[in-house]
Amino acid sequence: MVGNELCRERNNKTMIKPAFKKIYVILGEQDQGNLEWVLQTLSFLYSHVNLTSNIYLVSENLSDSMPQVERIQKNINEFLSEHLFARLYVHIVHPAPPSAMDDIRLCYKYLKQSTDKFDQEGYRHQELPRLILLPVLVPDDQVKPIQLIDLLDVLKNSFLLSSLYLNKDTLDLAQDEKLLSLTDKVYYGIGNSRKMTDVVCNLFRQDILDDSLDKIEINDLSMTEPCPDSLIISAQDCNVYSCMDAFLKNESLAKIYETHSLEELLADYYQQDKSKRDCLGCREQVINSFADSPKSLATDQEIGALLYHFGILRQESEDDFQAVKNFKQSLNLSPIEETDPVYFRLGIGYTKIGHYDQALKAFKSVEIAYQGQYFFHFYKGLCYFGTQDYATALEEFSNALQSKPQHDDQIRILIYIGTCFNNLGKYEQAVGELEKAKETAGDVKEIYNALGFSYFMIKDYDKSIENLKMAVEIDPFSAIDYASLGSNYREKGDLNMAIGMYEKALALDPGMTSAREHLERLNKKL
Amino acid sequence: MNVLLIEINPFVQETTPISLGYIAAFLKSKGFCVKILSIGQNTSLSRSAFHELISTFKPSLVGFSAYQRIMLYMIGLAKFIKSIDNNIKIAIGGPQATFMPSAAFAELANVDYICRSPGELTLLGIARAIENGTPFLDLSGLSYKDDNNAVFDTPELEGYTDLDRYPSAYLNDVFDYSRMREAIMLTSRGCPHHCIYCYTPNAFKHKISFHSVERVVEEIRWIRKKGVKRFWFADPNISYKPSRLIEILDRILKEGLETEMWLQTRADLVTPELLKKMKRAGVSTIAFGLESASERVLSRLGKHITTEKVADAIRLAQNQGIEVELFTIYGLPYETFEDAVKTLEFVKKNKVKIMGNTNSQQLQIYFGTHMAQHYEEYNIRPLNNNRPAYLSIGSQYETDYMGRSELHKIQQMWQANSLDGGKRIVS
Repeated sequence: MVGNELCRERNNKTMIKPAFKKIYVILGEQDQGNLEWVLQTLSFLYSHVNLTSNIYLVSENLSDSMPQVERIQKNINEFLSEHLFARLYVHIVHPAPPSAMDDIRLCYKYLKQSTDKFDQEGYRHQELPRLILLPVLVPDDQVKPIQLIDLLDVLKNSFLLSSLYLNKDTLDLAQDEKLLSLTDKVYYGIGNSRKMTDVVCNLFRQDILDDSLDKIEINDLSMTEPCPDSLIISAQDCNVYSCMDAFLKNESLAKIYETHSLEELLADYYQQDKSKRDCLGCREQVINSFADSPKSLATDQEIGALLYHFGILRQESEDDFQAVKNFKQSLNLSPIEETDPVYFRLGIGYTKIGHYDQALKAFKSVEIAYQGQYFFHFYKGLCYFGTQDYATALEEFSNALQSKPQHDDQIRILIYIGTCFNNLGKYEQAVGELEKAKETAGDVKEIYNALGFSYFMIKDYDKSIENLKMAVEIDPFSAIDYASLGSNYREKGDLNMAIGMYEKALALDPGMTSAREHLERLNKKL
Repeated sequence: MNVLLIEINPFVQETTPISLGYIAAFLKSKGFCVKILSIGQNTSLSRSAFHELISTFKPSLVGFSAYQRIMLYMIGLAKFIKSIDNNIKIAIGGPQATFMPSAAFAELANVDYICRSPGELTLLGIARAIENGTPFLDLSGLSYKDDNNAVFDTPELEGYTDLDRYPSAYLNDVFDYSRMREAIMLTSRGCPHHCIYCYTPNAFKHKISFHSVERVVEEIRWIRKKGVKRFWFADPNISYKPSRLIEILDRILKEGLETEMWLQTRADLVTPELLKKMKRAGVSTIAFGLESASERVLSRLGKHITTEKVADAIRLAQNQGIEVELFTIYGLPYETFEDAVKTLEFVKKNKVKIMGNTNSQQLQIYFGTHMAQHYEEYNIRPLNNNRPAYLSIGSQYETDYMGRSELHKIQQMWQANSLDGGKRIVS
C-alpha cells in the first residue's frame, strides 16, 4: 500500500462519532436513589456531550429541587474543572408563581456562588465563562408582569438574561416591552400545561423548529434524519430517551436495546440505530403545531417554506398523499410571490394520486411561470392521459418534446406519445414515434410492448411478434406480453404456438380472463 | 508519521482553516500523513470522540492555531492529548504564538513548541526532528521547552517569497468539500503598512508576498468544480497591486468563473473602474478599515488614511451595488467618548448597515503590535496585571480618555444600533 493510500485509510478510520448537544433532565421527587441514578447517568454522558452543549434541568419547584440541582451542579463543576476545553450552558427551568419569587431569588443567590470559579477563569482569559447558568422561568396565569420584572432585574445582575416559557394562558406577558427587554428568549408552550413532561416536550419542539429553520436557511436537506443529538433523562422513571417522540411513546433506550448498562447502551446507540423512527413525520407534526404560534418564533413564510420542503421529501419517497397535504398547507402560509413552485409540486402530487382535475387546476395557477418548460407540459400531458383525453394529452406531450427534455425524459415522452396515438387509433403514427423511441432508448420494455400493440393493430404480426419477444426477454414475467404474443400467433394461424403463449400468460397471471377465454376458444377449435 | 492540526473556536461557526490547510498540504508533499480538525460552535465533537480520534489516528505531533480568545481551550485539549499519550509533541502557532514571550512556557505545561516563523517550514522542521527521534535537534523558527523544562529560542526562519512554492490546500484536496460552504482564499500574505494596533505588518516585517494570478485562478476553478460557490478573500489588502487584482478579475470574467465574493482592502486602493469590474466578477461585499471617524484619533494610528477617503470609497462601492462593511474600533488611544460616538455617526451617515463585520469592537491589544510594546506611551492602563503570560492585554484596559464605564456605554450604543445583535464575523 503506498503512502497516500495508507494515510487516507488512517484518516477514514478516524471518523468522528456525533456528540449530544442537548440533554433535558426531568428532575424527580426528593428521592435519593433517583438522584444517584441521575448523577451516575450524567457523569457517564458528559464524555459524550458536545464540547459546547446545553443541559436543561426541569423542575416542578425550584426550592424543592435545590438539593438535586446543587448536586448536579457540583457534578458538572468537577467535569469542567478536569476538562478545560468543555463549555456547558445549564438552563434551570422551573415555575415562577407569585408566591415563590423570594424563594427563587434566594435559590439563585446560592447557585451563583458555585459558578464564581468559572467567572474568574473567564475574566482571566477574557472570555465568557465555561459554565453559564441560564434561568428559564415558567410563570403561571396569576403572575403580574411587574413581579417578573423585579425578579429578572435582580437575576440580570448575576446571570446572562433569563428566558421565559409562556403558554397560551400567559402569552400576554410577551406584550410587556419592559419584561421582554429583560428576557433573552421566549419559549412557547403548546396548550396550557405546565407539567414538567409537557414543558420538556415543548422545549424539544422548539429545538426541532429552530433546527429545521437553520437547516432550510443553509439548504441542508437532512430533514429526514434524527433531530439534533439530544437526550431526555427522566429521574421520575430512571430512563433515558433518544428524542421527544421516543419519550412520548415511552420507548426508552433501555427498552429498545434491552440493556441497562449505560456503556453498552451508548455503544449500541452509536452502532445500530434500532430506534428508527418517522423523523420526518415528527418534524411535520412539530412544524404544523407552530403554524398558529406567535410570529416571533417563526413567520408564516418560514413555516410555509418548511412545509414545502417536507412536501418535496415526501414526494421523493413517493408518499404522495402526505406530499399533497404539505403543499396545501404550505400554500396557505406562503406569500403569494413564493407560491409558484408550491402549486407546481402540488400539481405533480395530485397527478400521482390520480386527482387529475385538481392537478390541472394547480398547473393552471403557474401557467405563465412554467410555460415552455418540458416537465410542466409532461405532467399536464399525464393528467389528460389519465382522464383519457388523448388528443389534448398528445398536444401537451408534443409541447414537452419540443422543449428540449433530458434524454431519459425524452424517451418517456415518446412512449406516451406513441400510446396516445394507439389509443386514438392512429397506429401508423404510433409506430413512427415508438420506433424513434426505440432508436434512442434501446431496451425499454414499455416501448416493445406498445410497438407490439401498434403492429398488431395494423396487422403486421411478424413485427409485432418481434417486439413482444423483446419485451418478454427484458421481463420474463410479463403476462400481458405473452398473451399479446398468443394473439399474434393466433392471427397468423399458428394455433399451437398461440395456445402455448396463452398458457404461459395464465401461468404467470391466472386471473387474466381475456387469455383464458382465448385459450378456451382455441382448445375447442382444435 | 501522523500529524494532527487543530483549529478551535467554539464561539463561531466552523470555518475553513486556510492557514492549517497550507501547512497540511506542505507536510503531505513531504510525505507526512496529516489530518485537520476544525472545531467550531456547530462542530459535533465530544470528549469521548476526541479520545477515540487521538487513539486511532495516533499523531506524533499535534499543532494548534493559537488565538488570544481560545488559549484556555487549547490548553485543555493539550492536557487531554498528553493524558492519552505523553509522547505526543504539541506545537502552537499563529498570531498569538508568533510574539508570545517564551516565559509563557511556564504556564503552558503541555506545550513543547511555540512557532514564530512561517508555519509550513517551521512545522516541517519539527516533524522531521520528531521522525528522526531527536525532537529538539536542529530546529529553527521557534522556541521550545525540552524534556528538562529548559526553554530555548532558535533563530528565525525565512518563508518563501514566491507563495506558489507552497502547495495548494485546495488543489491537493486537503479539505472536505462536502462540509464547505465558503472557501477562504489567501492570495497574498503580509502588509507593508504601519498601523499601530495591527499584528500583521510586524509578523511579516512590513513585506507583502503573492501567489501568481495563474495559481489563484486555478484554485478558483477547482473549488467551483467541487461545488463551492462562495469565496472569502482574507488578504489584508487584496488590491495592493491593482494591476494584479484586475488581471485576476479579468480571468474570472473571461473564463466564466463569476462567483459570490467577499474581500477587504484599503479605502485608498479602489477606483470606480476596479469596483465596476469587481461587481461584474461577483464581488458582493467589500470591507474597508475605518477604525475611527475622528481625524484626531485616526491620524495617530499610523494608517495614513482620512475619513474623507473612506467616505469616497464607500460611495463608489455603493454606486456599483456592492455591499460595504466597515471595520471600526473603539477604545483607541487618545479617543474620547465623543470621538467614539463620531465613528458610530459616520457609519450611520454613510448608510453602512450595522451588522456582521460592521459591528464595532473594542481595541484588542495583541502581542506583536506596536501598541502592545509601547502601551504606556499611549496612556493605556492594563486592568489585570496578573494575567497569564500567554495572554496579551487584549481588551482589559482603560485609557486616559475612556474608563470601563464609557467603554461599556459605547459598546451598548453600537449594540442598540446593530441589526443583528452585534455579532461580528471577523474577530
